[in-house]
Amino acid sequence: MELKVLKATIKKEFQVRLRVYPISFMVGCILTSFYTTFGAWLMYHYFFRRQLSDSFSGLTGTSDYMSYAIVGSLMYLFVVRTCLNVSRTLMTELWEGTLESLMLAPFRRVAYFLGNMLLQTITTFGETAIATLIGVFFGLRIHEFNIIEFGIAVVLSLYCFFGVSLMLGCVMLYTRNTYITQNTLFTGMFLVCGITFPIEYLPTGLRLLGKLIPVTDCVSLMRAALLGGMGQGQFTQTALMALISGTIYIAFGMPLMKQAERLALEKMEG
Amino acid sequence: MRYFLKVVWAEAVKQHKNYFNNRTIYISLFIWPLFSFLSAYYSYSAFDVEGTLVSYINGKNILVFLMLGYMAMSFFRSVVQSAWNFSRERQSGTLEYIYLSTANRLAVLMGNALSSVFESSIVMLIFGLLIVFSNCDSINVNTIGVSIVLLLFIIMALLWGVFLNACFLYSRDTDFLFTILEEPMEIFAGVKVPIAIFPAWAKIISLIFPLTYVLEALRQVLLNGASISSISNTIFACVAIIVVLLSATLITIVVVEKHMRKTGNVVLF
Amino acid sequence: MIEVRNLKKTYDVKRRDGLFKSHRERIEAVKDISMRIDAGQIVGLLGINGAGKTTTIKMLTTLIEPTSGTYSFDGMDAIKHPSEVKKQINMIAGGERMIYWRLTAYENLWYYGQLYGIDNAVLKQRIEKLLKLVGLEDRANFPVETFSKGMKQRLQIARGLINDPKYIFLDEPTIGLDAVVTQELHREIKSLAKEHGKGILLTSHYLSEVEELCDYIYLVNSGELVVEGIKKDLTDFVFLRNQYEFSTKGMDEAIYQKLKSHICHVDNEAEISFENGKTVIESKMELSSVLAGFAIQEMLTINELHKMEPSLEQAVIKLSKDMQKEEIA
Repeated sequence: MELKVLKATIKKEFQVRLRVYPISFMVGCILTSFYTTFGAWLMYHYFFRRQLSDSFSGLTGTSDYMSYAIVGSLMYLFVVRTCLNVSRTLMTELWEGTLESLMLAPFRRVAYFLGNMLLQTITTFGETAIATLIGVFFGLRIHEFNIIEFGIAVVLSLYCFFGVSLMLGCVMLYTRNTYITQNTLFTGMFLVCGITFPIEYLPTGLRLLGKLIPVTDCVSLMRAALLGGMGQGQFTQTALMALISGTIYIAFGMPLMKQAERLALEKMEG
Repeated sequence: MRYFLKVVWAEAVKQHKNYFNNRTIYISLFIWPLFSFLSAYYSYSAFDVEGTLVSYINGKNILVFLMLGYMAMSFFRSVVQSAWNFSRERQSGTLEYIYLSTANRLAVLMGNALSSVFESSIVMLIFGLLIVFSNCDSINVNTIGVSIVLLLFIIMALLWGVFLNACFLYSRDTDFLFTILEEPMEIFAGVKVPIAIFPAWAKIISLIFPLTYVLEALRQVLLNGASISSISNTIFACVAIIVVLLSATLITIVVVEKHMRKTGNVVLF
Repeated sequence: MIEVRNLKKTYDVKRRDGLFKSHRERIEAVKDISMRIDAGQIVGLLGINGAGKTTTIKMLTTLIEPTSGTYSFDGMDAIKHPSEVKKQINMIAGGERMIYWRLTAYENLWYYGQLYGIDNAVLKQRIEKLLKLVGLEDRANFPVETFSKGMKQRLQIARGLINDPKYIFLDEPTIGLDAVVTQELHREIKSLAKEHGKGILLTSHYLSEVEELCDYIYLVNSGELVVEGIKKDLTDFVFLRNQYEFSTKGMDEAIYQKLKSHICHVDNEAEISFENGKTVIESKMELSSVLAGFAIQEMLTINELHKMEPSLEQAVIKLSKDMQKEEIA
């Protein structure tokens, strides 16, 4: 039964995308990554003339600022694309009026969302690859590639981002607004998840907030896998943290989503 | 003239009631630029600020430098969102009634921008002023310069809003405008990195954003104590942009009205 | 008086053939329409098969410029002076859109009043008067989103009168409304024309509405005027006949044959048939007294004598079918 839903969702989404692939959406996301990288490049090379503060390499384990920032921006692109797609699917269904008929069908939400997520992952990998090429141009260098760590980082990231998307989807359905909600949450993540600078620079409150979002850990893991600078013990610890927080997000996200769906439909009537 | 002002006011009031109908919108429009501002500020921590080439920036005033950038940008950026909102009047049919009336079209666009630009940025403005005042020992103000530049700033932000309103109202592909206007402005208008240190090709791109000029002028008079004569080039550029924006809007309005009477459709491009 | 002669509107539309290929196509939305609206008169504009009604209304409201033809508005050339015309007209469209839902009824009217530059003191009085006219004075300060469909529609009418227009264009004003509200609106529309002397052009899908309200009707098909006149002119035009149903006690084949020859003497074009003990007659003539006379003469007791006049609806349906046939031929 669940496999069937999974397959049907993938097929439906694939058909929709084949017909109207949101190119402007994709270009927009790659551009965002480009601007982030370009901004970091301008800062590093021109504004501050490659003079890093004394604390940076101590906190990050690397003195290659550009690679540090680019890996962060690539992960950010990845999380934005995944979240945007999965969280917005239900919003789209709400707008197009298909949410009601979808809710009538007695299937498990997990399969529905997983279907969306799997398909999205494929396209996102493609987009990230393009963005990586841009990154190499701006100075992305792989210092210590560890394939096992990389594999763990990718799988955990997908797992955690799925949880984050569910939460974001709830907020969207609840506020019935995508533009302001998504941009506020994404700029929020950009701030607290250590995308372009180590979160140790943040004041305590914001740093704690960053710790609560699994994206932060995932970004650290990916950097460790590509740039090194993190011991095995610390890597395992961070991976465990990500796994736990990701699980919490999914465990709370699913029932919350059901609640939000009901609320959204009630509001639509009223 | 009285009729013109009446329409401006009525449109501003309508937009206020129609769009800013609850308080949360002010907060959400504030949080977003605030986050961008904080991200930029903390990413500076990775660097040795004293190492910059720009003479008037130092570890003490960099917060104000950045705050001015994000505050000014919030005026120029928030309007993108509300202009998009305004463009929905085309779909909802109210635009047709506006066109059916004898109201001056520029007055309608202006009234709308008046409400959008200033209401969207009000919280950010207050926050920014608090930051600036609490750091007043690190700034170096030229009072006359500030008053002139502020006046220019308000006119430019308003006209930028009017111009975008016209673009969004008469254009089909608004997503495109979003992509063009949102993030590039943050980078290229010198909001977080001063354009003075840009490589030449990036400087050329920065020239197309009106925010570039007025932000530079604002920082000069607030942080560097620059006199009007020392930034006269920038001031002239601002005035020229005002003229260009106004005439571009007026031309668009006339062309759209002609186009609409011919085809029955306000979508121009 | 509004008078248009030989109005014509053609659009050039770009049609996509492929990714980069396209060709221009000329569409004749309105081919030739002449009409006239007098003050105090309700004129109906009926259309069949994509008739170009909307384009016609947009030309009359000066939102669109006609490709050719003349438009005289109280003796003034309306094509040359659209802004003068705009001062004296307004449009009311059906549906719930076209007003700001988050604003109150009063705020909506105030906003539109400002667009016409109406003096504030005058506007205040007018808004109060209009809200009373459409029965919304108690709801003046409630947001429109809390209104029912009928209330929104009534607010549309108040909005359409905000500049005290001489001529009003009503574009399907009662679409989607229930019978009671529709009747109220009909009363209001009639009073606008008859008591306040406004010239009104009405388009509607509901032919009974046009039948009830309009003093004069224009029927257009594919951008051309087919026929104009009062209702009878239209039904005559499509040769619609009165229908009679007649039966008596003990009516049988013999009596039917007698009746048939009796009627043929009076109207030899009448169509007569006998079904279920009832005689059904279609004729352009007035036959009620003829039928009654026949019963008396034959000493029969009348069970039923029923006359149905052709409705506008029948006329339009027949016309539309005829047109389709013509097109196919």
